Amino acid sequence: MSHHLYLLSPSDTPLYSLTHYSSKPAQTTTTSPLASNLPSWSTSAFAGTLTALSGATSATQAHHVQGGTVRIGGGQDRHVIQMIANASLDVVEEVVRKDNMMYLKSVDKFNEWTVSAFVTPGNMKFVLLHEARNDDGIKSFFHEVWELYVKTMLNPFHTAHTPIRSPVFDARVRASAKKYL
Amino acid sequence: MDPPAFASLAHVRIILLPVGNIRRSTFDQWASEVRSIESIPLGDIPAESKDERARFMPSPLASGHVHLSYQSHPPAAAHNALALFRPSDFPLGLVGIASCSHADSLPTIQASFKSAVKDMSLHKAAFPVSQNCFVFEEHDANLDLGDKFPGLVVIPSMMANKHVHISTLLAGLCSHILGDFATVMQSLESPLGNEYLNASLFPSLPSASEMPRSLDPEIPQRDSLPPLPSYNSQPDLSTNGSARSKTPAASKRMSTGPGLVPSRTASLPTTPVTAKKRPNLLGAASSHGRLFKVLADLFLLAGRHADSQIWYSEAIALFKGSPHDTSWHAAALEGLATIPVIEAWSSGSATANGADEKEPWQDIVDKLTQATALYHKSTPNSEHERTYPLLAYLYSQSVIRHTSLLFAVWSAKGWGPHAFGKLIQPGTTPYLPSSTASSSTDHNGVTITVVNGRTKASYAELERLTTITGITRTQIATTLSQVHGPWLLHLAARERIGILQTVAGMFGALGYLRKEAYILRELLGSIMDLIVCGREESGGARPNGAGLGIRGAPVGNASTTAGTVGVRENPRLEGNESMLRIIKHICRVHGVDIESVKLVDIGAIAATSNGDAADDAEEEDLDDSPQDPFGWPELQIGIIREAIAVAEALPDYPSVAQFSLSSLKSLHPVMSHSDQVHLYHTATRALTTAIRRGDRRTVEYWAGKPIVSIEVLSLPLIRLPIEKPLSLLAKANDQSGVDTILTGVKDPFLYNPRKVASGQTQSILVQNERFEVVMTLRNPFVFDLQLESLALSTSGVRIESEAMPITIPANTYHPVTMTGKAAEPGTLTIRGCVVQAPGGLPREYILPLSTEEEEETRSRRRSAIESEVGRAKYAGLESRPWKRMSKRDSKQVSKKQPLRFLECKVVPEQPLLRIRRTSLTHAAVMLYNGETSTIRLTLENVSSLTIDFVRITFDDSTIAPAQQILAEGELSVFETYETEYDLIHRPVFTWDAGREASRVDPGEKASVAVKCFGKVGCTSGAIHVSYAYINRHHETLKEKPPDVFHTRQLSYPVVVTVYHMLECHSMDISPYSRITAFASTTEEDDDSPAGKARRALFDVEDVADWCLFSVDVRNTYGSPFEVTFERRMHNHRAMTTAHMTTTVLVPPGSTTRIVLPIRKILLTEEQTSKPIPTLSDRQFVVVKSNLSSAEEKAQRELFWYREELFKTVQGRWRETGGMRSGELSLRQQRMTQPMLEALRTETARVQMSLVRYEDEVAMPVDVDPSGSKYLPPPNEFVYMRTKVTNLAPAELVLVANLALEPAQHTIYQGVLTGIPMGRLAPGESYETELPVAFLSRGRFDVSAEIRALNVSDTTSPVGRGDLRAVVEADFS
Repeated sequence: MSHHLYLLSPSDTPLYSLTHYSSKPAQTTTTSPLASNLPSWSTSAFAGTLTALSGATSATQAHHVQGGTVRIGGGQDRHVIQMIANASLDVVEEVVRKDNMMYLKSVDKFNEWTVSAFVTPGNMKFVLLHEARNDDGIKSFFHEVWELYVKTMLNPFHTAHTPIRSPVFDARVRASAKKYL
Repeated sequence: MDPPAFASLAHVRIILLPVGNIRRSTFDQWASEVRSIESIPLGDIPAESKDERARFMPSPLASGHVHLSYQSHPPAAAHNALALFRPSDFPLGLVGIASCSHADSLPTIQASFKSAVKDMSLHKAAFPVSQNCFVFEEHDANLDLGDKFPGLVVIPSMMANKHVHISTLLAGLCSHILGDFATVMQSLESPLGNEYLNASLFPSLPSASEMPRSLDPEIPQRDSLPPLPSYNSQPDLSTNGSARSKTPAASKRMSTGPGLVPSRTASLPTTPVTAKKRPNLLGAASSHGRLFKVLADLFLLAGRHADSQIWYSEAIALFKGSPHDTSWHAAALEGLATIPVIEAWSSGSATANGADEKEPWQDIVDKLTQATALYHKSTPNSEHERTYPLLAYLYSQSVIRHTSLLFAVWSAKGWGPHAFGKLIQPGTTPYLPSSTASSSTDHNGVTITVVNGRTKASYAELERLTTITGITRTQIATTLSQVHGPWLLHLAARERIGILQTVAGMFGALGYLRKEAYILRELLGSIMDLIVCGREESGGARPNGAGLGIRGAPVGNASTTAGTVGVRENPRLEGNESMLRIIKHICRVHGVDIESVKLVDIGAIAATSNGDAADDAEEEDLDDSPQDPFGWPELQIGIIREAIAVAEALPDYPSVAQFSLSSLKSLHPVMSHSDQVHLYHTATRALTTAIRRGDRRTVEYWAGKPIVSIEVLSLPLIRLPIEKPLSLLAKANDQSGVDTILTGVKDPFLYNPRKVASGQTQSILVQNERFEVVMTLRNPFVFDLQLESLALSTSGVRIESEAMPITIPANTYHPVTMTGKAAEPGTLTIRGCVVQAPGGLPREYILPLSTEEEEETRSRRRSAIESEVGRAKYAGLESRPWKRMSKRDSKQVSKKQPLRFLECKVVPEQPLLRIRRTSLTHAAVMLYNGETSTIRLTLENVSSLTIDFVRITFDDSTIAPAQQILAEGELSVFETYETEYDLIHRPVFTWDAGREASRVDPGEKASVAVKCFGKVGCTSGAIHVSYAYINRHHETLKEKPPDVFHTRQLSYPVVVTVYHMLECHSMDISPYSRITAFASTTEEDDDSPAGKARRALFDVEDVADWCLFSVDVRNTYGSPFEVTFERRMHNHRAMTTAHMTTTVLVPPGSTTRIVLPIRKILLTEEQTSKPIPTLSDRQFVVVKSNLSSAEEKAQRELFWYREELFKTVQGRWRETGGMRSGELSLRQQRMTQPMLEALRTETARVQMSLVRYEDEVAMPVDVDPSGSKYLPPPNEFVYMRTKVTNLAPAELVLVANLALEPAQHTIYQGVLTGIPMGRLAPGESYETELPVAFLSRGRFDVSAEIRALNVSDTTSPVGRGDLRAVVEADFS
């Protein structure tokens, strides 16, 4: 079961991203029977785009690997996940404008992914793609990441648009992810 | 493909078909006429009399409508299996539209209508299709149809209200259709029919042979309405017997799975529920749920909602227990959900449902949610795989139906007639509240609707809808997202495109641009896949393959030799444009302006340079200032790649180039190297291809402003013309130019504003001569940027300059030198450069000189941008770069100012001179100090113009330091004079201007002799030859002669080596006493010529008039020199003794003292009291010395007497045994006060002598041989005679003071001091005598001091005399 975390700047640029493979067993998500038995109908490159974007590759892979942890692999899928994270900003923006909550739980669903988000007062958006429900864990996780982020922002040379490359930050976020996700 | 309406389940589909030779416009006109009839009231439908067929007929006076929807295509054959499941998806009626002007063409129309119907292969469908053909008359054709042509209805052009007529005809058609429903239902109601119905998930009616025969005979008898003869498709099935029609049906099934007939027995046991339940009505083996559902569907179509609702409920009750009927269950729910909407529409009011606490649509939504969930989990477990696409299709339809309900209510501002209208007849662009949609149809017949991003509804508007309706956008989006999933792959291309299009449209309308972009990418993928695959299949022979371009000759093409000739097919481009629009939209959403490089039609290149200036500045600002990045670089690059792939596949090569280059331009900071290189190569390739194909479009220049600086290389010194005012010429002739040498070019003003202005004067170029311009170009990319041409952009005078191709290395600043030639004199303005990338358009980039103000504005602007960096006022899509800029720009109004550019002055053609040869080797001259030699330069005029002005100036290494010292002004007046004298009177180089020819004709030579004077400390020098062509020939008299002329300068540097070999030092001047004169004339009496000369030298008539000049000359060099000192005296009486020389050989390393008697000098008071002159005309010479007036007087005397001395005594040297000679300067010697005293002629000369009177006769006392000592007798009175002569030019009143030493041994008579001499006129003398007796043996010194009483300064004596007496005689 994997999680994908993106820290997005106000201008939608990812400053930090993390892919976390949870050790917890994947919940038996009810996949539609419609998603199985997909035809391999075309071999053109454009069909590949469609296949990837519709989430078909991960479904078929899931079929082959039998729900193993290594589900997300190739660059294409990575791209799709980024697309989903980006697309979910539409909803996040709207919700944020109306509610002043920071933690937006399960704000969006797309393909098999659920998107939870956390919006800091500085309009940084933490976007987490996950598959299973884990509201409390995700909330705690977001709060820890926020704290870490605030510590990073204390650096006077760090602007809202500077990518975070600090290994300490990375290690701590990973530890936090291990703890909660 | 129109998106399905919410209420599509209640729509009777009718296909509109063009028949015969009908023009498109005509067809469209009539079709829209037909389409405008969207529903037919039930009351208008003629009832069928027969009982069987009357089953679905509306009851009389029933309210309600039959809703019609019109299609132009039959559904995909793959969906035929859904015929019974969803009858509303299938055409139930067919209307042909023909136009006719002659009666005799009617048979043709009928025939073509029949064949068209046959082509539609509608007979495969489960439902009979009612057909009719409307023939619209043209031009009063007055057709009389009669009954000859069944199936054709002629609508005369005369008819006034066609609308009513058509709707009547359609009502008839509907009646027919409803009649057919009964027929179908009848066959299903049989046990066998029910078995068929339950046979598989999506059953189809069995082939005709297996149907009960009883239905068949009725078919031909249906034509009860004469004007509307129904033409049923079923006769094909029924009349043609079993064998023929069974075969295709069977073979079709065989290809996909087990045939129906064998599988029937096999599948029946799998439905245990149906097996157990005994039929109560018809005795079929299976449950009747499906039957009821079909019945309800048909009732829904027929507009009988109450019946429909009953049967749906019945069906649902039966479906609930059956796991195999989940999709039927879902479909029934969908049908049930449709009914309230239609009823609400019919009643036309929103208040039908009065429940306040619950939204009126909530019930429908619940049903639909349930339906969606049921579809989602329905499993086609044992079914063959054809059901997957159908299930996926039904699922998607269900989700979209669900969403469209929410959406319609949301966008129509609530549950009301507007919303119902949208739900039932959505129109072509249902997802756009305003009419800002731009839709186009691509080659697949797919209408693509792109919401125009700029005019989309604002957040407030969208939010208002939410507030009114209580439906949030998120809610709609969440519902809509359900449609998206892997199952999309199950769908056939057409359905998928349709669904994606709908989804994208909805997201767009919701303002969810990112999600829209996501879906649009999939949509693109689907469409492009079709294009690519279609091309691969079709080969070269497909005539209407859209987007096909040149391709290599395919193998199968027999007309060309394989592989050698490209076949160009005629590409259809209609669809391409919209594909590209989608791409551009996607890219914009992701923050990539993929159109930042414009495509320009080559034919339409107009003057583009007007607006460029502002753009440049803008662009520069953008480039310079740091910018917040927008967007997700990884995604952006992925999307760009896709965009390029799409453009390549279409193919649209200019767009490929445009996309690649635009993204390079805007994204290169975040791109990896390989990406940049790849994009660049792609663009280059695409442009090449586009050009080869003769595409009219090409890209403008894209690579940003390449030019950083531009600079005119000044001409080489020998070619550089120097501007001089013509007035200088007149002055120059009589001025020696000394001044400039002395002071340098010195500005009298500390701050000269003109000079500052002239500091940045335009550089000067010469007509018809090449000049060079250095441009610094920048390449911010990681690849070598190739420019097809780089040219100067100039205005003003005409120049000849060639554009050149250039490659700027990666990531560097690259200087480029360009040459040009001005063709005429005048002012040349260099605006900038014109660059052109390969295959692109040229573009001018100007580089204005920035004024201070502009600079300030720019920096302010930049700082404004900088201060915004890092702050995020606008987040998300609002912060896309172009949005940000537009927001900022609105606040700043920039003033437009005329731009200034680099300007050069082009002067008329100038002659050119060169040094042909010189007399020097290696341009070096070796001199002894003081030596003078001649340098000869030969100049040649290599131009075609005459040189009529030549002037030579010089420079050497001693001038600058001396000038500097002078400029510092720290020197005393005396030293200043010395330095100035050195500069003026002893220059290293001199040239006699008068002797040389100053005209050099073209091709001629002239020689110039320059004298070179050896001066210690000089190491190098330069000879500058300035020349010009002044007296030009002017073409016209009108032309005003210029008041300036231009000179060119030729410089010849000379290395000067000066050996310092003779040194003069310790100059001294001593009184020439009698004893020295005696000694020098007498002690050597050799008869050598040198001795004689010496004697002659020292032989002077009056010793008192002379003094001795002596100086040490040291030879520090390695060879001996002869040194000659010469005295020359002017205005003296005895010319013989005036000119005398003394010559001494000074051996190497030794010092020789040279002694020369010179006559004393007397300078008048006026002369000596003059201040020390300055040789320059320096103004404001402030006397800095703080000497007293006496000291100053003394200094002036010293100065003037020294000057006089140097006039008198001159030294020369000659190389022993050599030819070289030169002068020896005494200028370094200082003069002291004693020397001055010795040199100066006394004011009053005192001559003292001792006389003895014997018998009143004066006898001189004995004098020793040298004449210097008197030998008076002791103890005896002698007279000491003192004669004073006034040598001064004025009268003097003199007093003498005498002193005797030792005074105690003398006796004298009278007084020693204050002896009056009286008033003496000039030249007059006075004698006085003093008796003195010397009382002891020894030496006595007598001195006399004369003081003048009538001069102001009485302290110092005006004359001195002395006398020495030696008393030797013994006292006895």
